[in-house]
Amino acid sequence: MFGLPDITIIAVGFVLVVVIAALLYWGISFRGHD
Amino acid sequence: MEADIITIGVVALYFLGMLAIGAWASKKIKNTEDYLVAGRQLGFWVFVLLMIGTVASGMSLLGVSGLGFKAGWPTIWEQIFVPLSIGFCIIFFGVKLHNVARTAGYITVQDYLAHRYESPTALRSLAAVAGIIVSLIYLVGQYSAIAIVLMWLFGIPLWLALVIATVITTVYTAIGGLYAVAWASLIQSIILIGGVLIMAPIIIFYAGGFAHVNDVMAGINPNLVMPWMPSGAFGIPYVVSFAVLLMVGLACAPHVINNVLAIKDVKYFKWAPIVAFITYAIVMFLLKFTGFAGAVMVKEGTFVLPKVANAGDFVILYGIQSSLPILALWAVFAVIVLAAVMSTTDRLMLTIGGMCSWDLYKKVLRPDAPDKTVLLLSKIVVVLSAIGTMILAINPPEMLAILIWMGIGVMLSTFAVPLLAGLYWRGATREGALAAMALGLVSSLTFGMLNYIKLAAFGVDFGKIPLHFSAYSFILAILAMIIVSLLTKKTADKVLDETQTGWYISKQ
Repeated sequence: MFGLPDITIIAVGFVLVVVIAALLYWGISFRGHD
Repeated sequence: MEADIITIGVVALYFLGMLAIGAWASKKIKNTEDYLVAGRQLGFWVFVLLMIGTVASGMSLLGVSGLGFKAGWPTIWEQIFVPLSIGFCIIFFGVKLHNVARTAGYITVQDYLAHRYESPTALRSLAAVAGIIVSLIYLVGQYSAIAIVLMWLFGIPLWLALVIATVITTVYTAIGGLYAVAWASLIQSIILIGGVLIMAPIIIFYAGGFAHVNDVMAGINPNLVMPWMPSGAFGIPYVVSFAVLLMVGLACAPHVINNVLAIKDVKYFKWAPIVAFITYAIVMFLLKFTGFAGAVMVKEGTFVLPKVANAGDFVILYGIQSSLPILALWAVFAVIVLAAVMSTTDRLMLTIGGMCSWDLYKKVLRPDAPDKTVLLLSKIVVVLSAIGTMILAINPPEMLAILIWMGIGVMLSTFAVPLLAGLYWRGATREGALAAMALGLVSSLTFGMLNYIKLAAFGVDFGKIPLHFSAYSFILAILAMIIVSLLTKKTADKVLDETQTGWYISKQ
């Protein structure tokens, strides 16, 4: 796909999904107070 | 190329806008707190775009595309881990530092280190001196990037390009402090994001489209479309150390981490990480793809790069020149690059000003100095740091990215361990922090230089090490922190409680 080997799409895609999921989890769970 | 009147007009308009922000901000400055942490009044979007603008540097435009041009997809990880550094900084440093700073009144991160490690003089001074050294290294890379753009756009000599860039950036930073830097970053980041979203697809399309670019790169060298190289630089171990370097090293960089002290409300930390990540990652990916497109255009003879040592740094400039044959658009693009570079440069100069005037002068040398004198000294140091780095930047390094990475590597090795251990490990001691910081600084500077000149020393060929050089100095700093802390007297529980030290991010 896109002229790229599967391994490149899987590796980059996997890390991107993990990072976005982690940051979403942070946003949902963080209450924050002073 | 020679600039016409429209080009000069567009760039002059941008410069005038920055000076106007400086003049407006200068009216809000009443004391050192206003100058260095903008009175702790930054709102959500000003903060998010300040973080993006601070991290988005000369490397973001020239260096990122230059590296993509040179080494292809194995370098794609910087597109994820540089934007992620903002989230790492907010989550692992920002929340706790902000909460403690509110009650303790910190102006700089050195205030936190001095408090947490009960070291008002030694650790504060070492941290400030180390911060000044790494910021200066980083600053030289930024000024080199500004000079490349101005030389390309106006066909003027390097020294003149440097003088123009230095004077404009210095004036608005010196008079307006963090208010000016933050609001300038807001404008600069919007220009950067909007500009890249419009121009990068045009360059990629002009080169034949995304799939064609990848096909041609695979034809040049199949490794260029793989996620990592088979071995050596950008092999898997190197990529992992590279990811840590970018994410943690940038997060603890003095000019980045100090921003967390300036926000108005800790609730902004809830969505700032993902908003900053997605916004900046899109920009970074597009820039890297532009570098790939440049490699294809060079291969297919669309343009020829200049025969200079850092030719890769010019690839995006020549790419835009080929795909957008309208002179006024080049000027707009030049403003985009200048915006990216200046948004980091101004924050670095202000950080150096704060470390000299607040940490070294007010807190170590002259505790009784009046606030007015500290404020004046901050402004003087901003000007001096600009002049000093401008002189250093007259001989730019071979590849911009290398110098900037060296700066980030030194930041990682020097600051990450004392900060992370200080915030999360109650066993970390003053002596441990001093040892980790000193060893991290000296070893990373040594390893970085040996790696840069590809020299063999200590029985190791530093030109062929499997990890990024900063990984070794980072590990040395961790060992120094653990061993020395276990052997020395613990910090008082009262101080550990005041600084919210422990294995948690926020007491909710």
